[in-house]
Amino acid sequence: MEGTIPQPIEPASKRPAPKSAFGKTLLQLALPVLLLAGVIFLFLRTNGAGLKVEPAAPIEAVQFDRVMLTPNKIELQLTNTSPQDITLSQIVVNDSFWAFDAAPSRTIPRLGKATITLAYPWVEGEAYGLRMFTSSAVAFDYAIDVATETKSADTSTLLSFTLIGLYVGLIPVLLGMLWLPVLRSMSQQWVTFFTAVTIGLLIFLGIDATSEALEQATALGGAFQGVGIVGIGIVATFMLLNALSRRQEKLTGTGSSRRLSLALMVALSIGLHNFGEGLAIGASFAVGAAALGTFLVVGFIIQNITEGLAIVTPIVNDKPSLLRLALMGVLGGAPAIAGAWVGGLSYSLPASVLFLSIGAGAVFVVVYELLRMLQKDSAQNPMSLTLFSGVTAGMLVLWVTGLFIK
Amino acid sequence: MHFHGVHVAAMDGAEPIQPGATFVYEFDAEPFGLHLYHCHVLPLAAHIAKGLYGTFIIDPKEGYKNKADKELIMVMAGFDIDFNGENDIYQVNTIPFHYDKHPIKIKQNELVRVFLVNILEYDMINSFHMHGNFFHYYPTGTNLTPSEFTDTIIQGQGQRGILEFRYKFPGNYLFHAHKTEFAELGWVGQFEVEAQ
Repeated sequence: MEGTIPQPIEPASKRPAPKSAFGKTLLQLALPVLLLAGVIFLFLRTNGAGLKVEPAAPIEAVQFDRVMLTPNKIELQLTNTSPQDITLSQIVVNDSFWAFDAAPSRTIPRLGKATITLAYPWVEGEAYGLRMFTSSAVAFDYAIDVATETKSADTSTLLSFTLIGLYVGLIPVLLGMLWLPVLRSMSQQWVTFFTAVTIGLLIFLGIDATSEALEQATALGGAFQGVGIVGIGIVATFMLLNALSRRQEKLTGTGSSRRLSLALMVALSIGLHNFGEGLAIGASFAVGAAALGTFLVVGFIIQNITEGLAIVTPIVNDKPSLLRLALMGVLGGAPAIAGAWVGGLSYSLPASVLFLSIGAGAVFVVVYELLRMLQKDSAQNPMSLTLFSGVTAGMLVLWVTGLFIK
Repeated sequence: MHFHGVHVAAMDGAEPIQPGATFVYEFDAEPFGLHLYHCHVLPLAAHIAKGLYGTFIIDPKEGYKNKADKELIMVMAGFDIDFNGENDIYQVNTIPFHYDKHPIKIKQNELVRVFLVNILEYDMINSFHMHGNFFHYYPTGTNLTPSEFTDTIIQGQGQRGILEFRYKFPGNYLFHAHKTEFAELGWVGQFEVEAQ
């Protein structure tokens, strides 16, 4: 209040509003919060205010983050997702109690992490069931379906992850973009059809990424609210990219540069999607689950070649430089490499759920933008038969190529 | 390697022998009977399920009461091929259905002595049932007088005993676990009794 000049007393109605109105607003904002604090205080002091809140058994939950297998050693990273501390007391491996170390401690605080180490002579290719008992005799099970040595971050591992990213991301996307000259020679009707195919492809990818994200979200501990992460990822990405695209639109109008920036957005969204895909492949490769190897990769190559098509359809009538096209291809395909690295070397379930959701949100925003473009660029009703057949064809293509992968 | 028998603690074989190292087990062969040896390194159940066991016979000094015309060793066990802690295959002497497809030839009225051992992991019990005949049973083979005259015997893991019998009539006779599930999963065989 320093520096305030004493003011002549005036009738309350005539007083300048700002200060007192601000105080009033503040009070009005704070009142419910203060009352709430009082209610919580009373609730805690009276031990539940008549409610029977003591659970019959302790509520305990853990989330398994990562398992690493090295010769004669099993390492298990986990997070305590229960409402309070838990203490690990025993571990049973395949029906056999086994000695273990827990770092930093056997007692794990809420949302704290621990790494459990077992000196166990596991055998390549066999299955192991780990059961952990906490000090309150709550059991948690973790299954290693196929034991295989966890890859470490050496040069050959990085190289193989890079190759995976190249095969499933960059190469097919660039190959798909080679359809640009053929698209150019086609009539507008066909271009509309292929734009619709692109929309279908993207819708399929978006649904796929959402379902994958939701599936992984169920494996997350309750405290992480996996479904919430999925919602935030999709909605925030959609809103952000939509806002950016609006700004771009204002700057560039609706002509060729607008279509180019749309193609760039398609590339970006496909890149985000491929990052998520790389993440999943890298993670399953690292734990040996991608033993299907070559078959899986071939499937992804076939499926992702359509993504190259998606990038070039908005710019059929434009003449971007080769460098620009190549950059868009890299933007769409190369994130698979980064995804494979991250997924293979430091897989994190919450991050994976978030990235998949971001990919889904990016794909959906592009679907929306492409639909708007179709509406503007053609006099046709956007729900014309061309649109219907294109979208359906696009989705069917991914479904059929998906048969090779799943 | 852990031997069943009477010996000093240092010869008990509960301590692992590291790869490449050598250890000589030395003990007096006692008591006489039908015995078992197996790996005792953890994880024990997994090692036994995979077949790290065997049987050995300490003959009585004065010999058996009757001289057998044919002696057979049968080790009953199983295999868990999908590592889920349950057996998928049951058998005697490693190969399921082997003696069903290749019957054991014996002669009418000759004395057959079977050394029967159960080392089956994961399941509570195993059993042996013989068709068309009864046998004298000597639990663990440590006594020269039979305890039972029967056609079915039950053994838990590590139990064993000696069977003595003669076939009165020629023909083919099944023998199998009388836990019939095991029989259909491989633990079945046949005696082909030739007329004398």
